[in-house]
Amino acid sequence: MARLILGLLVALALAFSPGRGRLGCDTACSEPAENPSEQKPSKERQQARPEFKAAGVCARCHVVSVLEWGVSKHVAADTNCQKCHGPSKGHVANERNEVKPDRLPRGPLIARTCIGCHDDGCPKTLQTNTCQKCHHVHALVNPNERVAGDDERLALLLARWGRFRKHLESGDREVQLAQWKAAQGEFENALKQIPGNHQASTRLAMCKRRLNPVIPGCKIIGKEFDAQIGLPKEVMVAGHDIAMVLVPPGQFDLGADHLVDARPVHTVDVEAFYLGKFEMTQAQWKALMSTNPSIHQGKEFPQAGRMPVEHVSWNDCQAMIQRLNERVPGGGFRLPTEAEWEYACRAASDSPLDHRALEQFAWFRGNSLRQPAGKATSQNPDTWAPRPVGTKKPNRWGLYDMQGNVSEWCSSFYRPYLYDAKDGRESLDKAGLRVLRGGHFADSAESLDPALRHPERPHRRYRWNGLRLARSVSGP
Amino acid sequence: MRDRCSRREFLWQSSSLALAAGLGTAAPAVAERAEPVREFRRRGMLHRRLGHTDLYLSVLGFGSHTDPKFKRAAKNHSVLTEEGQKRRDRQLARAFDLGVNLVDTYESDGQWEPVARLVRPKREKVLVSICRQFPVFVGEHIDQAAKLFGHVDLYRICVGDGSATTEEILEDWDVIRKAKRAGKVRSIGISTHSERMMASALAELEGLDYIMFPYNFIHARADYSEFLPAAIQKGVGLIAIKPLAAGSIVKLDPKARPGSKPENERVMLYQKQDRPLLPKVVAELTKSLNRLPDETLCQAAMRFVYSRPFMTCAMPGMFQDHELEDNYSALTRHLELQRAEIQALDAARQLACMSGASWLPPSYRWLDEQWRA
Repeated sequence: MARLILGLLVALALAFSPGRGRLGCDTACSEPAENPSEQKPSKERQQARPEFKAAGVCARCHVVSVLEWGVSKHVAADTNCQKCHGPSKGHVANERNEVKPDRLPRGPLIARTCIGCHDDGCPKTLQTNTCQKCHHVHALVNPNERVAGDDERLALLLARWGRFRKHLESGDREVQLAQWKAAQGEFENALKQIPGNHQASTRLAMCKRRLNPVIPGCKIIGKEFDAQIGLPKEVMVAGHDIAMVLVPPGQFDLGADHLVDARPVHTVDVEAFYLGKFEMTQAQWKALMSTNPSIHQGKEFPQAGRMPVEHVSWNDCQAMIQRLNERVPGGGFRLPTEAEWEYACRAASDSPLDHRALEQFAWFRGNSLRQPAGKATSQNPDTWAPRPVGTKKPNRWGLYDMQGNVSEWCSSFYRPYLYDAKDGRESLDKAGLRVLRGGHFADSAESLDPALRHPERPHRRYRWNGLRLARSVSGP
Repeated sequence: MRDRCSRREFLWQSSSLALAAGLGTAAPAVAERAEPVREFRRRGMLHRRLGHTDLYLSVLGFGSHTDPKFKRAAKNHSVLTEEGQKRRDRQLARAFDLGVNLVDTYESDGQWEPVARLVRPKREKVLVSICRQFPVFVGEHIDQAAKLFGHVDLYRICVGDGSATTEEILEDWDVIRKAKRAGKVRSIGISTHSERMMASALAELEGLDYIMFPYNFIHARADYSEFLPAAIQKGVGLIAIKPLAAGSIVKLDPKARPGSKPENERVMLYQKQDRPLLPKVVAELTKSLNRLPDETLCQAAMRFVYSRPFMTCAMPGMFQDHELEDNYSALTRHLELQRAEIQALDAARQLACMSGASWLPPSYRWLDEQWRA
């Protein structure tokens, strides 16, 4: 029992240890030292726990189970995870844990699994159907028997873990009361107990941001702050009236199976960033660049200033962004990557494109007929026109016109999926096709699919291509 | 001796085996993937891959033009009389039986419904080609076609015969590219008669799958010398329109027109000119044609196109039943042209060149100047 608790604690402590990613548990193979400086290098730690090596890929997630299995005689007998749970290839491949292992015996089925090898039953009791009564399923030890010698170490670990939890909980309470200074102290104390703990360090960073809520070059709008990262949910670029909304960090499924070049659907991590609440307007562009390249302007469009700027190329966007970065302290403005764009457009929703709902959120060919209706019998792109930004409903994160109105340039090169921001597709130097997203006022509803990628040459200008600004979030 | 190996041994042995098996099979597998099938025969009909797409077109396509004799209304209106429509439906059904899998509908106002009705039961086998029509906006036009046909296999815009792509063409192109990405269209292309426009389209139009352009033995002599190599290198599909030079090749061979008298045809052609033609040229053609006892000049002309491996498909307009059979039977021979056929084609070319634009039908005489340029 003591060994089991010890293993459990070790696993929990390591699960919150520094640099731990979702698949980074394979270093979690030794007990943490009292003093962090005494910790052994990870290779030695792995050697000290050979069961992690033997368990292979299972050890990446099932740390506790592997630790339990590690104390059993099954290790020496080469009875590994697959022996009882089957090859479970689907479970291994599915990172989101949507596929179960091939075999997951519970209750009386556990004994049947044991009989597969121990066909004579228990050597002591000769029982064949109550194995789990005296044997832990993984560790095989009798949970009712105590093992001498581990009590002292266990007590120390328990005390340390308890102190960490106490500080973390106190910190959380202070956060609830908006006592950021006190909360900061609690999280710092928690980190002293388990240095580098991801949970505590994230909360500490959040407290620091709340204590000093300054975004260079921006005014904070409203009083809403993101609970996880402590940044203001909405800001305004000072002197340029460009409203930006915080897009929280997260994971999402990029792509769509029904679109040829959006396959395969794969999971992508996105850091927090600010994204324009609206598409960049003609007035904003003109204020920066002194010219207005848009087709839809003049007497026919009295609200042109509030309409999205269009007829701009990717190269034009880069020139404008360069100028904006020179003028606004802190800079950091850019086009969103295509992964960021799709993440923001989906706004944590997995629901497929709903054409009826689209009417409420987007301007597209179905509802953007030019007003007043022309008498011309022929149709051309002039038959439809963009509308002032923000005249439809926003998405769940408060972003307007993500679909429709004008297509939005992204920074990314058009390359096949899988998306990897580090493979050179976000380079600004090379020549090649750049991606447009979102569809436009003359597009059909199908072309407004959040996953639809539209590559275009960076120098091309069309009456329906515009942009939306993005800005990276700087560290605490 | 142990009857079980350890997990480590098992992994080592199995990975070695897998590596050995992989090395043996990987190279051919990669080679197959790198070079997809470009052409194959199926029940006598030759099929070729359209550029880089996954579409395989029969080398004989069914052109869109309808018989003017049966047109119900004004010019360019393809609504046919009941009798005319029945004839066309019968021809189309026969074409499908022969293995033709491409049907074009240039004139959307009258032929979409009949074609959709015929194609619907065999939609997976038959490819529908559609051309952008004014005055409807291209996006709207695609939506209408996709609604009727389920999807469009080949969609093209007629870019005119200018010298370069215009802003309007680029905007239309942007819309049809997006329609392709949204799955409404499977391949996108252009049609033009101008080589300069073709060269411009190759350079300017992103994702161009195919070009439809006039290609026949008379106008392929030295033309397209710049455009064709570039198109072939880019892997763009090439579809021949007017493979029989707007029907004028039929006029040169009496055998291709049952019931006509050979001498009358030639004399008529001869007499239409203000300037006298050399009777020697007519005699040369007659002599050459006589060397082709079991073949018409049209068949030789079609085989001229079929035999070019870079040409995906030839799409003549066919009004008569025997025209379809004639164009199909050209495929049943060995594709490479024989000496007698080459001589006949040369003689016909010479005659066409000497007779100026008048060898073409009145509505297509402008082409002569275009092609000669």
